[in-house]
Amino acid sequence: MSDEGSTAETVHEVGEFYQLLTTQLESAFGRRHPHWVRGEIAKVYEKSHMYVDLVDAGSVSSDTKRPVLNAHCWATQWAPLKRKLASEGVTLTPGVIVNFYGYVDVYAPQGKIGFTITQIDVQGLLGDVARRRQELIARLVSEGLIDANKRVAMSPVPLRVGLVASPGTEGYSDFTGQLAHSGYGFAITLVKTAVQGEAAPPQIVSAIEALDAHGVDIICLVRGGGSKGDLAAFDDERVARAIAGCATPVFTGIGHTGDESVADLVAHTRAITPTKLGEEIAALVDGWHRRHVRVPAQRVLDATNGLLDEATEYVAERRRTMIFAVRDRLRSEQRHLGATRSQLLVHSRHLLSTTGQALASTRQLLGAYDPSKRLAQGWSIVTKSDGGVVRSLSDVALGDTVRVLVSDGSFDSTVNEKNGASS
Amino acid sequence: MSDIGNWNEAANELDAIVASFDEGEVSVDDLFVKLERATQIIETLESRLDATKMRVDELAPRLAKVTEAE
Repeated sequence: MSDEGSTAETVHEVGEFYQLLTTQLESAFGRRHPHWVRGEIAKVYEKSHMYVDLVDAGSVSSDTKRPVLNAHCWATQWAPLKRKLASEGVTLTPGVIVNFYGYVDVYAPQGKIGFTITQIDVQGLLGDVARRRQELIARLVSEGLIDANKRVAMSPVPLRVGLVASPGTEGYSDFTGQLAHSGYGFAITLVKTAVQGEAAPPQIVSAIEALDAHGVDIICLVRGGGSKGDLAAFDDERVARAIAGCATPVFTGIGHTGDESVADLVAHTRAITPTKLGEEIAALVDGWHRRHVRVPAQRVLDATNGLLDEATEYVAERRRTMIFAVRDRLRSEQRHLGATRSQLLVHSRHLLSTTGQALASTRQLLGAYDPSKRLAQGWSIVTKSDGGVVRSLSDVALGDTVRVLVSDGSFDSTVNEKNGASS
Repeated sequence: MSDIGNWNEAANELDAIVASFDEGEVSVDDLFVKLERATQIIETLESRLDATKMRVDELAPRLAKVTEAE
């Protein structure tokens, strides 16, 4: 202590000094004179109250001389602020640049000057979140990771479904309900995870890796609707990289219509809701079933019926044809026989007629030579005793008895004299 | 000659018989023999067809069940 100090200036007790200091600070930086302070979160700790070490943005942690502001937010103010931040998807984590509004206070027992936070610039933080999100997407694009999982080959029938979700949630029920009601035998392998909060990203990453190693057709990340904060886990870089590096197609059904997380962008396939995701997966299987089972079965059925109809018609037609062909052939033969028979009758009759006429002529001719007719005309026939007809004088001798036939009988006569033409 | 071969063989033989009738090549002496053979083929084909239909009728509902959603 110098002589000047001991004589001219007041010496303060420690408590008194802190009181003086506090008064001076409060007059410029106290509760009634709050300030905005911008910095990067170096450390953050929460236990009812929230404690955060704020440093200059971009300062190096190894710099032991960099200024640090020990800020805190008392529980009564932190609780509503935390809810607001969470609803916007903002989490105070190291590296985040934030604007705190508050005032300086002095905590004499530890000799510390602190900063009590009363407000947080949420809009600024949102802008920062959006910026970091865009930066993450740009990194994923530049590293070729944004489409990496989209290039993974898909099973044509994704029946083995790995599910990353929180059982009991609406999103879980909506998704599994769609698969259950599809009528197809989906085998779901569930890995339970938190789907919001700080614990969610590492759990989701572990679940993806476990299911990828387990061997499923697809991995589904499912989370129902919620605030941006509730869905923040799906904008996490670790989750995005886990999806990009996964050898199994990752499908997402996260939030409501309009929500699009980084996980959605990196995923193989994204649906707008868990319900829609279940529908789409069921539709994939149904499409395969239709193309490879139902349509071919219908074709087989149609072809079978067509073939049977054709064969039935063929046999029936051949039966009819044979009946008519044989009938025609027999009729033809019958007609031929009938014609032949008719011709034979005509010929026979003609022959009979001709023969009859010939006989009549003969008969008529013979009639002209009938001896009885000659006898009736006065002619007689002389026969010898032996019946021989006397045709010449030489046939008889004088004294012979001859018989003379006349028209009504005969009489015997004796040859008394022979008178020849020459005599 | 009870064996008529497979469906196509039998159909070819039947077609040939029918063609011989169409072309008037069948004598009365051959007519009965050919008719008897054709009848045998037709009855055997019908019998096979009936048996096939019965089996198809058994299977068709099962197949139709698969296609119900179409």
